[in-house]
Amino acid sequence: MSTPNAPVTDEKSAPRSNPFRSFNFSTRFWVSLVIVVAVVVLGLAGFLYPTGSGEKVGSLYDAPGGGLPLGTDNFGHDVLAVLMAGTRTSLIIGLVAGTIATAIGVAVGLVAGFVGGWLEEVLMGITNVVLAIPSIIVLILISISLPQSSIWSLAVVIGITAWPWTARAVRAQASSVATREHIDVARLSGARLPSILLVDVLPYILSYAVMAFVLQVSGAILAESALSMLGLGPSGTDSLGTQLHWALAFQAVATGAWWAFLPPTIVLTLVSFGFLLLQASLDEVFNPRLRRGKKKQMKQAAARRAKEAAALAAGEQAPAAGADPRPVPTSAGGAA
Amino acid sequence: MSHATTPPAPASAGTKDRSGLLARVTDVRSVYGGGEQDFTAVDGVSLELGEGEILGLAGESGCGKTTLGNTLAMIAAPPLYVLSGTLEIDDEVIDLSTLSPADVKRHRPYRGSTVSMLPQGAMNAISPTVRIRSLVHDVMRAHRTGVSKDEALDRARDRLKMLEMPVRVLDSYAHQLSGGMKQRVITVISTLLDPRLLIADEPTSALDVSSQRMLVEMLLAMVEQRIMSGVVFVTHDLPVLSQVSDKLAIMNAGSIVEMGPTRQLVEDPQHPYTKKLLSSVLDPTAETRERGRDRARGGAPAPAPSTEEAR
Amino acid sequence: MNLGRYILQKTGWYLVALVAAVGLNFLLPRLVPGNPVDVIVSNLTRGGSITGEQQQQIYETYVAEFGLDKPLWEQFFTYLGKVFTGDLGTSFANYPASVNDLVGQALPWSVAVQLPAILIGWVLGNLVGAIAAFRGGNWDRSVFTSSLFLSSMPYYCLSILLLYVLAVVAGVFPVGGAYSLGLTPELSAEFLWDAVSYYWLPFLSLVIVFIGGQAVGMRSMAIYELGGDYVNYARAMGIRDNTITKYIFRNAMLPQITGLALSIGTLVGGALITELVFNYPGVGTLLFNAISQNDYPVIQAITLIITVAVLLANFAVEIVYGFVDPRIRAAKSGEK
Repeated sequence: MSTPNAPVTDEKSAPRSNPFRSFNFSTRFWVSLVIVVAVVVLGLAGFLYPTGSGEKVGSLYDAPGGGLPLGTDNFGHDVLAVLMAGTRTSLIIGLVAGTIATAIGVAVGLVAGFVGGWLEEVLMGITNVVLAIPSIIVLILISISLPQSSIWSLAVVIGITAWPWTARAVRAQASSVATREHIDVARLSGARLPSILLVDVLPYILSYAVMAFVLQVSGAILAESALSMLGLGPSGTDSLGTQLHWALAFQAVATGAWWAFLPPTIVLTLVSFGFLLLQASLDEVFNPRLRRGKKKQMKQAAARRAKEAAALAAGEQAPAAGADPRPVPTSAGGAA
Repeated sequence: MSHATTPPAPASAGTKDRSGLLARVTDVRSVYGGGEQDFTAVDGVSLELGEGEILGLAGESGCGKTTLGNTLAMIAAPPLYVLSGTLEIDDEVIDLSTLSPADVKRHRPYRGSTVSMLPQGAMNAISPTVRIRSLVHDVMRAHRTGVSKDEALDRARDRLKMLEMPVRVLDSYAHQLSGGMKQRVITVISTLLDPRLLIADEPTSALDVSSQRMLVEMLLAMVEQRIMSGVVFVTHDLPVLSQVSDKLAIMNAGSIVEMGPTRQLVEDPQHPYTKKLLSSVLDPTAETRERGRDRARGGAPAPAPSTEEAR
Repeated sequence: MNLGRYILQKTGWYLVALVAAVGLNFLLPRLVPGNPVDVIVSNLTRGGSITGEQQQQIYETYVAEFGLDKPLWEQFFTYLGKVFTGDLGTSFANYPASVNDLVGQALPWSVAVQLPAILIGWVLGNLVGAIAAFRGGNWDRSVFTSSLFLSSMPYYCLSILLLYVLAVVAGVFPVGGAYSLGLTPELSAEFLWDAVSYYWLPFLSLVIVFIGGQAVGMRSMAIYELGGDYVNYARAMGIRDNTITKYIFRNAMLPQITGLALSIGTLVGGALITELVFNYPGVGTLLFNAISQNDYPVIQAITLIITVAVLLANFAVEIVYGFVDPRIRAAKSGEK
């Protein structure tokens, strides 16, 4: 996937003094939120759906119909049931791995950016080295060394390989914050490093941490499905990736059994798109330089201004209320 | 109201009248848009500037002085809109109103050549990937079509030598220059085309004291040598203005509350706001200075002579 | 920071990364509990594809080649020695085929699809993104949303969709493979012409997503630069918009060059699975087969090659950046 490995803006944009003051939720934000919620609902709906994902309800690639909205897969299981279970699995892996990766990334970035000096050099060096090695390769190597993979082992493995770009972004923010005056005041007052980091620095970094978490979850879900398609997925469990894996192995595409591979493909696409859109719209909330104004409101304002200017030019409009009617006093001697 | 659309004739030395009126600004009204309501930043300001005059524009943060400066320099752009205002200069009446991108375009020929801007904080005013000499060439050919790079650089070199600055800054990138040097280089670029009027927006605020002095001396020298014919010096730093400006205008909440010759305004302010502003700038009198020196030496301040002792 | 020091620093860190990568590549598979050869060989025998004699041969060859009975560090140096002389060992599953041969056959297919995708995608993507940023308005909105959508899609998801829609349903392109049945790969015009029709879908699925990613990044960078102080100053001096566009472009390109390094890694990873979807006989398919057959020498060779290639590409990009960014190329001379 070509998800940018960092938030879509420059890392060094200035942190806002109070990120929560002027929330400006655009259409984009609501659309992305709807997509994300829909996916979560799909996963949870599996608990209510009558058929289990392991029940054999038909034969190889039965087309949709007769009580099976999405037909059967290569095992004869209900595709919709498998889809729901798979979505749930993928979401769990995404959340766990995302949390781990964000936690490590924020911690490393905070310490590196705030403490600075040689510690920063070392941490950033390690980060860059880990970043340079393609994560899929590390994931493959680790996975083939493990005798068996479960949801949790996968999540942990993904989490400990995905943190570097977050560390880089957070470090850039932390080091710009570290030079601000009130941090020095906190230092002078005797507060110790961990409490300074938590109480003063973290709120500034919060917006970045939130955006990073969103991208990490999405990235983890996609990493898991990539591994599953290579045959390294969680054994004994359905995930979106394993569903696709079996579809490819049993030639679903070539035989035209679209119900076997299109649903997981669509869900995966929605997951990555929805989360990325969410992150981009959060970015606009936190970073005003990216905002491009609401069209309708700007049009109305422009029309209003044009009217006002025309009136002024025609000399009709009196000076705005509150203007001082007294002539501007000049000191004795007169102006040039 | 006439709308002048012809670009101004290139400035030529020697035809400027030493005395008399340089520019007249009439009824400027500028607003900030962007929400339900527009915010009026400049509310009907008019002023006049004479040849060779430096006008100080002072006031507290938010009084509208920077907005007025931007309006006069014709660099207003959304979310700043200029609803009305004219600038009469060199027998030309320029409509300052800026409501649309077309207006912004219309003003382009004046920017940098008739009226120029010295921005606040030159730190990021130069693109990091552009050499000074490229910037110089770009500024010149934006106003004199067909000017070659050599011609532009020659002019820049002459100007730098005249102002006793090293010529090699032309080959530098912005990150290779110190803060003070950057500010002076920007000053040279802003005045390269001999603008009639220079708007200086807080030019000294980001500088240390010695750089401040260098810059102010440079500006005075340039006015002396008729590089520009008038300066509007926008700042909140009153002490600097009291030394540099001929005339002083005090702004508050979008209007000019008092305007007049600097010395008279400082010594005999009329408007209550002016009085308040001046008094808040602590200017130690001679007596207080004496006390301060004694204290520094370690002794208690000498008590003011009592009426009994004076007898 | 000047150019010499920059190059030295980068070379140093990339060497560290290389050592780490080779080390990981060596170490991880050997962390499998128990004697890996026993497991592997017993798996092979279970499939009934090799005789007892061959099994013994494989066992002895592997033990001899990599000195499994020797201590770990000695094994590592043996491994290093072999790698540097270009001997990547013998395949398990396709015994006695040499890994070099297998990889050598697969590599050209992968490079042929990926390299043009990167180059063309980078140029077109940045162009589209820049135009969108400057035009603004509806054009920008639609370009941004569609680029965001395309870039967020995993490479293989687009592959599946393209394969189904354009090949299975519409029949415009062949359904998988790299060349028609019965032909043998050779450098003849006839073969190449045939291979081209199989080339399009894999190439398109990579390049489209890559363009999306670059466009989104470039657009964000350009918008950010549009709000910069130097833009305001240039406008204040009456400089024409075309010239200002050049300034913005040059500044926005810098982080794009840096970002290219990461994007290449992601593309290479994603291309692995894209090949699976299209049954394209590149490195991805080879890896997939090797994983399912526990063919460790092949797996290790592929992961090593991919890692080295990506590291090399990243290194090249970073060096180019050093030459392009004036803040690195031209040292600070400290003018007062």
